[in-house]
Amino acid sequence: MFGRTLRFALTLVAALLLLSCNRSKDGGTTKIAVIPKGTTHEFWKAVHAGAVKASRELHVEIVWKGPLAEDDLKGQIDVVQSFVAQGVSGIVLAPLNDKALEKPVDGAVKANIPVVIFDSDLAGSAHKSFVATDNLAAGRLAGEKLAALLGQKGKIAVLRYQEGSASTQKREEGFLEAVRKMPDIQVVSDNQYGGATTESAFEKAESLLAAQNAGSGGVDGVFCPNESTTFGMLLALRKAGLAGKIKFVGFDASEKLVGALRDGHVDALVVQDPFKIGYEAVRTMVEVIAGKPVQPRIDTGAVVVDKASLDKPETKAIVAPDLAPWLGK
Amino acid sequence: MKYLRKYPFLGPLVAVVVVYAIFAIVAPGSFTRAENLTTMAGQTVVVGIAASGMTLVILLGGIDLSVGSNVALSTVVCALCMRAGAPAILAAAAAMASGLVAGLVNGALVTTLRITPFIVTLGTMRALRGLAKGLADEQKIDAPSSGIDALVAPLPPGYGWALFPPGVWIMLATSGLVAAMLVYTRGGRHIVAIGSNEATARLCGVRVERMKWLVYGLAGLFAGLAGVMEFSTLTVGDPTDSIGLELEVIAAVVIGGGSLAGGEGSVAGALFGALLMTVIRTGSTYLGIDNWVQDIVTGGIVVTAVALDRARRASEARR
Amino acid sequence: MSGLVARGVAKAYGATVALAGVDLEVHAGEVHALLGENGAGKSTLVKILAGAVRPDGGSLTLDGAPYAPKDPAAARAAGVRLVSQERALCPHMTVEENVLLGGEPTRMGVLRREEARAIAARALHAIDPSGAKKHRLRPDALVRDLGPGEQQLVEIARAITEPRCRLLLLDEPTSSLGADDVEALFKVITRLCEAGLAVVYISHHLDEIRRIGSRFTVIRDGRTAGTGRVAEATPADIVTMMAGRSIEDLYPRSPRVPGDVVLEARDLAGAGLPVRASFELRRGEVLGIAGLVGSGRTELLRAIFGLDRVRRGEVRVGAYVGPASPAARLAQGVGLLSEDRGGEGLALGLTIADNVTLSRLSGLGPRGFVAPSRMRTAAARFIEKLGIVCAGPDAPVSSLSGGNQQKVALARLLYHDVDVLLLDEPTRGVDVGARAAIYALIDRLACESNKAVLVVSSAAEELVGIADRVAVMHKGELGPARPVGELDVRAVMLEQAGAS
Repeated sequence: MFGRTLRFALTLVAALLLLSCNRSKDGGTTKIAVIPKGTTHEFWKAVHAGAVKASRELHVEIVWKGPLAEDDLKGQIDVVQSFVAQGVSGIVLAPLNDKALEKPVDGAVKANIPVVIFDSDLAGSAHKSFVATDNLAAGRLAGEKLAALLGQKGKIAVLRYQEGSASTQKREEGFLEAVRKMPDIQVVSDNQYGGATTESAFEKAESLLAAQNAGSGGVDGVFCPNESTTFGMLLALRKAGLAGKIKFVGFDASEKLVGALRDGHVDALVVQDPFKIGYEAVRTMVEVIAGKPVQPRIDTGAVVVDKASLDKPETKAIVAPDLAPWLGK
Repeated sequence: MKYLRKYPFLGPLVAVVVVYAIFAIVAPGSFTRAENLTTMAGQTVVVGIAASGMTLVILLGGIDLSVGSNVALSTVVCALCMRAGAPAILAAAAAMASGLVAGLVNGALVTTLRITPFIVTLGTMRALRGLAKGLADEQKIDAPSSGIDALVAPLPPGYGWALFPPGVWIMLATSGLVAAMLVYTRGGRHIVAIGSNEATARLCGVRVERMKWLVYGLAGLFAGLAGVMEFSTLTVGDPTDSIGLELEVIAAVVIGGGSLAGGEGSVAGALFGALLMTVIRTGSTYLGIDNWVQDIVTGGIVVTAVALDRARRASEARR
Repeated sequence: MSGLVARGVAKAYGATVALAGVDLEVHAGEVHALLGENGAGKSTLVKILAGAVRPDGGSLTLDGAPYAPKDPAAARAAGVRLVSQERALCPHMTVEENVLLGGEPTRMGVLRREEARAIAARALHAIDPSGAKKHRLRPDALVRDLGPGEQQLVEIARAITEPRCRLLLLDEPTSSLGADDVEALFKVITRLCEAGLAVVYISHHLDEIRRIGSRFTVIRDGRTAGTGRVAEATPADIVTMMAGRSIEDLYPRSPRVPGDVVLEARDLAGAGLPVRASFELRRGEVLGIAGLVGSGRTELLRAIFGLDRVRRGEVRVGAYVGPASPAARLAQGVGLLSEDRGGEGLALGLTIADNVTLSRLSGLGPRGFVAPSRMRTAAARFIEKLGIVCAGPDAPVSSLSGGNQQKVALARLLYHDVDVLLLDEPTRGVDVGARAAIYALIDRLACESNKAVLVVSSAAEELVGIADRVAVMHKGELGPARPVGELDVRAVMLEQAGAS
């Protein structure tokens, strides 16, 4: 019995070894750690693909490693620290919190490892550049679109994403700024947070819709600032039979959300270009390592996509980039 | 075999060494750098300190699922105090006090209501999380962290003689104290006795209820201390922090030879258990192993550790 | 006068009178046997003496001074220690830690290790002065590694660490011990008495009491039914006092006609025990298997029933050959009565009806449903048939006395209507009255219902009394089964000790 269990343990160790050997490819090249906020959202897969594209074109090695649990702040700090201890050539980071990651980034810079921030901003000035959508502008775009859809009047609810996430807070801010300029638009709810997962967003969305009597005209339009909240809201609207009846502007473009756009359940999506974010972040890092000067702020842009513009080729390249050549899946 | 029995922490120690050796061979040369060792030690601090308390609870035959929430609550309390301008030492004391109170509440519910610890702490896990969110107004709390942030940060230049950041030494000291308490004090023996056979302990005049209060209180206090360390890492008070930490802490204790049936467990073993998980995590980061692979490996190791331990015992019993 | 004197001790729990006035005199330096059927009030009396229960009336004196302990700690302080029937040890701790538990010498909470070691060593020396068990009873040995006999000695060692220990209460100390361990225990008790300790010894085994007791007291229905010197009373006298009637024939035996072979084992070996066992069991006969605790008797039954792995050999049940799962064995008509009534045999928290019908719920309702009323009806039939003393089919099994619990366990086999009954220690912890009922039931099963019964027991006398043939197990090897006519108790005892 003991022998059998021991054999099992050894097999496990051997499997681990094999898996590891598989991963440890060429050494000696420039190795850049790319740390997203999470690894399961569609958004991050596109970022990953963009990063891979840059790494191939520029002949650097990237290590893609997010926190073990999605959106786990401590986990992300641990990952940054590990890469610093490992002594990689550079770190490209999408910080989960604008302040908590400041110290680990300082630590990296002190260890002579340059840091480029992407997607969400970070306090402090240790990092070389910030590559992201201008979220304030993107939020404004969303606000103007929803206002146009409603004919500049009506009741609007916002399902926020999470406390301490700078990028989504900016979008929410930009959105609210835009709609509050319209005298006939009333924001009925802007203090509900969907949380990290689609599931939590769905639950919050359901109670939000119920609390505002959305079924009997309490809400004319809704806005969500990222993929998980948009999808959660979509599910809640569908469940309540309100999909297509309430004007809905969301953020990010996953396959499911694009499908909903086609069905008319979502009226418009503000789409960042995650592929470009990933690509630009790694490219900027390579330039930093090469000693070239870089812009402290690089905007990767955002566009509004609705049903009409969906099938235009330039939209397609952003909304549904072909990831297969880069991620091999 | 004989040594394993006398020193139950040798098993997890060997596991740590083996896994470290594997990564040292497979990973790029930088895995064995001294910086990495200190970083790993620093990343073990939170789980390691909480595991000291959990070892006591598990020895007693109980369980504490509220550790993760308690840690989050402590980071919030610590951050609130710092924001209010309290000196670092006072903020840390307040965070530990909040942990202690939460632990004593667990103890009170377990002993007076006579509900099983699993249910009690399942309840306080949610309640403490809610309390933390309420205190933090459902946001992360930005606070000056000077003083506390040095606990687990890499040592500043010129302090290399200390080898590890202060947090690591605090973790070692806590574990040492708890281990000594188990061996050298009457209370320590009574904890093991209760976990081994509660009825007997009561019959022999052990004040079972009082010991339970004490142990849950201590576990809470250590969770509070772990929360201070967590705050030192995060530099913000985060009410949504450490979700699932309790399972990691329990896993550390179990890898270290703890039995959920009570009466068995080793503080040193739990420390090595915690370290083992950090080594796997760090090694996976080095190799760029996907997160899902890492999850499977960590889960497999927990089960394997317990299976090996059981098999060893079975083979001993046959001889 | 030195020793314990109890006069008119009474205790009632609500309307139930447990003790109605018991007198007991225990002299220093004697082993005083306390006898009585289950439910007679022995355990209540012991609990009062140990300070766990406070009496409603009567008086107690210890060495001439009034004795009224308010809790077990006070009783201990007065020098009275109880070693109860259930093992009260911490298996994960060492012998020394167990011996000292609750009385560790400390300074400000920190253990004084030297002193602790000395106290433990003194206590271990007192129970084992010759050092015969020294290699096992080491202070740093883990208690879970010890055998049942050694564990019992550790408990006694703990009881006598108290320097003022004057009265030792032993509640069925031999109930889980083999013959060797019983001998060792008796030596220890004798020695402690010679040192001036008073011992109250509770047991169902009259033969043990004849060997070790100097005087006895019988309790019946909460009163003292008789007292005297053991040497001057015959077993029949004592049994009559206990039962309130004379039990002329404890072992009824109707004419039996053995039929076909229904269970056969050939060269059967388990993972550890048994090593080799062959036997045949016929319809309408009772086969006894004798042997010491740990000789592999229980393991033999478990291997046959499919609870343990069969390593080698063959089991044949009727037409079925080879190993089978417990569920398959039940379907083949084989039932097992576990020796561990509380741990394995019965679900103590459930009702009588639940326990009786547990193995065969299929007939109690349509297609997977169970009608509670039918469960109760089924259970009520057996309550009446076996004379189970209880409040009704809905009474929890934990509320019953040991004898009645055993009847519930037997009722399950009868309700399942098995043809082959494997009974492991069917009368363990059962009082004389219930024991006689169980013997009569076994006889009826073999002779009237034509069932095949296999009985495992540590009591050779019992096997010789009820079985048609007896085989002896020694160190995992089962000897040949011989008709009881050719055997007597002495021969069986010699053989199971390996002396034949």
